[in-house]
Amino acid sequence: MKKHHNNPDSCTACTVCIANCPVTAATRKFRGPKMVGPTLERMRLSQDDIEPSLEYCSNCKNCDMSCPSGVPISTLNMLARAKYFKNRKRSLRDWILSHGEKMAKLSAATPGMANFGMKMSRGILKKIGISDKAPLPAYASKSFIKLFKNLKQTSYPDKVVFYPGCFINYNDPQVGMDFVAVMQANKLEVIVEEGFVCCGSPLVVNGFLDEAEENAKQNVQILKKWTDKGYPVITCCTSCGLMLKQEYQELFHIEGVAEYAKQLYDADEFLLDLHDQGRLNTNFGTLNEKYMYHAPCHLRAQGMGLPGVELLALIPGLDVQDADAGCCGISGNYGFKDDKYDISMEIGSGLFKAIKDSGRDTVVSECGTCRLQIGHGANVKTLHPLTLVRKSYEAYHK
Amino acid sequence: MQKTTVVVIGGGATGVGILRDLCMRGVDAILLEQQDLAYGTSSRYHGLLHSGGRYAVKDAEAGKECIEENTILRKIGRHCVEQTEGFFARTHLDDEAFEGKWVEACAKVGIPTIPISVEEALRLEPNLSPKIKSVYRVPDAAIDGFRMVWQNVASARKYGGRVLTYTTVIGIEQSNNQVVGIKVRNTLTGEVSDIACDFIVSAAGSWAGEIAALAGINVNVQPDRGTLIAFNHRITSRIVNRLRPASDGDIFVPHGSITILGTTSASVNKPDDTVPNAKEVVELLNIGEALFEDIRSYRMLRAFAGTRPLYSADPNATGRGASRGFVTLDHAHDGLKGFVSVVGGKFTTYRLMAEKVTDLVCGYLNVKTPCRTAVENLVEDTSPALMAKARLYFPAYGAELAASRLGSEGLEKVIARIQEKPEKRQLLCECENVTMAEVEEAAADSTSYMISDVRRKTRMGMGTCQGAFCTFRSVGAVDANGLSWGKDTNVLFKEFLQGRWKGIRPILWGNVMREMELTRGIYEGTLNINGAIDNEGI
Ligand SMILES: Cc1cc2nc3c(=O)[nH]c(=O)nc-3n(C[C@H](O)[C@H](O)[C@H](O)COP(=O)(O)OP(=O)(O)OC[C@H]3O[C@@H](n4cnc5c(N)ncnc54)[C@H](O)[C@@H]3O)c2cc1C
Ligand code: SF4
Ligand code: SF4
Repeated sequence: MKKHHNNPDSCTACTVCIANCPVTAATRKFRGPKMVGPTLERMRLSQDDIEPSLEYCSNCKNCDMSCPSGVPISTLNMLARAKYFKNRKRSLRDWILSHGEKMAKLSAATPGMANFGMKMSRGILKKIGISDKAPLPAYASKSFIKLFKNLKQTSYPDKVVFYPGCFINYNDPQVGMDFVAVMQANKLEVIVEEGFVCCGSPLVVNGFLDEAEENAKQNVQILKKWTDKGYPVITCCTSCGLMLKQEYQELFHIEGVAEYAKQLYDADEFLLDLHDQGRLNTNFGTLNEKYMYHAPCHLRAQGMGLPGVELLALIPGLDVQDADAGCCGISGNYGFKDDKYDISMEIGSGLFKAIKDSGRDTVVSECGTCRLQIGHGANVKTLHPLTLVRKSYEAYHK
Repeated sequence: MQKTTVVVIGGGATGVGILRDLCMRGVDAILLEQQDLAYGTSSRYHGLLHSGGRYAVKDAEAGKECIEENTILRKIGRHCVEQTEGFFARTHLDDEAFEGKWVEACAKVGIPTIPISVEEALRLEPNLSPKIKSVYRVPDAAIDGFRMVWQNVASARKYGGRVLTYTTVIGIEQSNNQVVGIKVRNTLTGEVSDIACDFIVSAAGSWAGEIAALAGINVNVQPDRGTLIAFNHRITSRIVNRLRPASDGDIFVPHGSITILGTTSASVNKPDDTVPNAKEVVELLNIGEALFEDIRSYRMLRAFAGTRPLYSADPNATGRGASRGFVTLDHAHDGLKGFVSVVGGKFTTYRLMAEKVTDLVCGYLNVKTPCRTAVENLVEDTSPALMAKARLYFPAYGAELAASRLGSEGLEKVIARIQEKPEKRQLLCECENVTMAEVEEAAADSTSYMISDVRRKTRMGMGTCQGAFCTFRSVGAVDANGLSWGKDTNVLFKEFLQGRWKGIRPILWGNVMREMELTRGIYEGTLNINGAIDNEGI
């Protein structure tokens, strides 16, 4: 078997990635994807030193998408970051931001308290380096897993496995519930496996690579179990999807990822596939509403087009306009950091303007943290596309 | 007319080693080099500071010389030696019986060999083929030819040594069977001049036969070409030798950011027949696959070739000296006093060769000062304070490299340039991490006449893009600095790009082809360099 290694060899120094990196456009503090990625990778293999601007990469993956040579630039950056932190202490801030799952579990006993505490302690968070302006997510009073357990599904022979991910599970469970409703409307039964853990994306960006790998191993085992039985696995979060499918392959040497990845779907993508096969429930009720749409970078990085836009186009009356204005700037927990907040807002400014100019008051997007940032930066309401799909199914029966 | 006691011909390792040794013993000397320093085999080679393991079985004496010199050079030349250590790995294709013989032979000449498990070897070097059968650790190291040559010169200059580059020897002046001077031609201006001297030492490597012929003396040197491949990144952090009787394509040597695989062997007519071809490259890849099975997925940067000065003695000659590795020919035996040629040997033994020749010359000159080249470091260590300062001015991964290239004095000068104009900190060569300030410093040196001279001093243009971006930047810098040799920028462009092309041509497929198309787009399309050069003729 050919060893999977991310060598810097295919870079031709064409500089396309530099032109497409939103962080490079927003700040001179970052030396850019080509330099920090493939170019310095050659140096990292031969010397021990620190590139201070490495911390500015947000892992948004616009570089990877634009590279005509297929260089996994952002992954080189993340691996370098992990190497950097191998024998260095990490900040409390980075620990907190990377361990959303642990934090959520800690506060799960008293969710109301946790949110209350969160508001009260923004001053303290600021002291440890979390911006007091950033749109930190609140914990939901009941996690998705809890809500799901109390839900009575109709059983169907065709089943799908749902990977909720931390954001849906702890912060935005309604998206998960909408997903289940949409699946049920399509005569599919949803299986949720409690053994799933955080995909590792927030760990990777702060250099907790070993922990991320532990998580990956556990998830891979479960994913393989279900895909081996022929069940599709579906995510509603594009960063989780990208991680489980692609980044696991680039970051870790775990067997079998390439195989199960073929049966891993984004929810919108999955529904469109059903449509192609003539199996989608198209009993859509009319929604005479207008929305803007924002494509998350991690959706675009998966190279599947814009399934959300295509899917919503099936709903009669619905007017969804693609903002097509690049990265929103949040990149997971990047924009939460005090020293990155301004950069993050600068990156998103183009998108915010496009949204404001459109005059539309609600933005649809698959990614939970994109929705937070857009709500914050453009002062609008936000939705997951599946929420509209569910609404349309329900409208049909009214 | 210039005057000196000894003229040394050849700016390779041997020549600069002799210059340094002579100067350290207080003998006045000038070194002449027809091109730039390290133009010859001393940069067109593998860069392995042999532990001697490669020679132990067949030539115990050479093995012994290697391990002794290896130990000395690690110490005195630590700024050009990378102490990587080496592996000898036997692949599934290699004869098991040889392994025992090899271990025994190494022990006999004092080369330490430590067996390790294949598993451990793969942990240390994950890119190695898992099919290898057994592995030993040896004290091999990587040695940078350019830097070694430069640092010898820097040391010699401190002791009064003089160096003339782009100065070719065209005649040896004699009177009553005694050398009295040398006739030279400046290869850039064509100007011919004479230098009076009492002694000439020819350290012209593969060219030694041509030099001796100028005095009507026959020195039988057969140039033997070896081709090497430079890979874009460090695929191994240790030297890896194939554990089998020495043969083609046996060795991988990591150097800074790259890895070099070699070599082939073929008799050629001319010492500067150094144009490699695709057939040799493919042969090397085929052989190299046994040690690194993914070899074809690693990007090549270029292929290059050098010629070994293989010497065959005339059986009727008398007074032929020294070891089997190299010979010192005192041409007094051929009827001309004050003329010595030194031929053969290896880079690893350059210092020993220099010592032997200098002993001989000093004997004639009645100089009794003992040789100290084995105990005095080539360049001083950069002080921790200066290093700390350098880190403030150089970009990441740049300070150590610059310090090892420049030495303390050069480093101070480059820092001063950056202090004066902070924008000079920007990288002119991004692939090899060379700042604008360092390029300008190298360009201003009295031995620089073209961009390639700057390249040899800095590694500019020797990384991934092979000149695609740094060519126009460096030509611009030279032009903007108003250097006397920078007036005709078209010539500068052509010289540098053609030089890069020579090594790219034999490996023109895959990523290299894509890079070359980008380069062509920049220079032929956007800058229309060829059009500019053609128009000059009108
Ligand atoms: C492919 C290859 C790989 C090798 N690998 C290794 C290795 O890994 N380790 C090792 O120890 N050894 C190695 N060697 C051997 C080693 O490179 C040489 O033995 C050594 O570099 C020779 O140095 P030199 O100074 O004698 O010759 P050179 O470096 O060739 O210097 C001779 C100089 O004389 C100059 N000159 C010629 N004619 C004139 C003239 N008329 N006037 C003025 N100057 C003139 C030339 O321009 C040249 O620069 C290798 C050799 C080859 C070919
Ligand atoms: S991942 Fe995003 S921020 Fe990082 S280098 Fe690539 S484009 Fe720039
Ligand atoms: S886009 Fe790809 S090939 Fe071009 S400079 Fe960036 S990494 Fe290199």
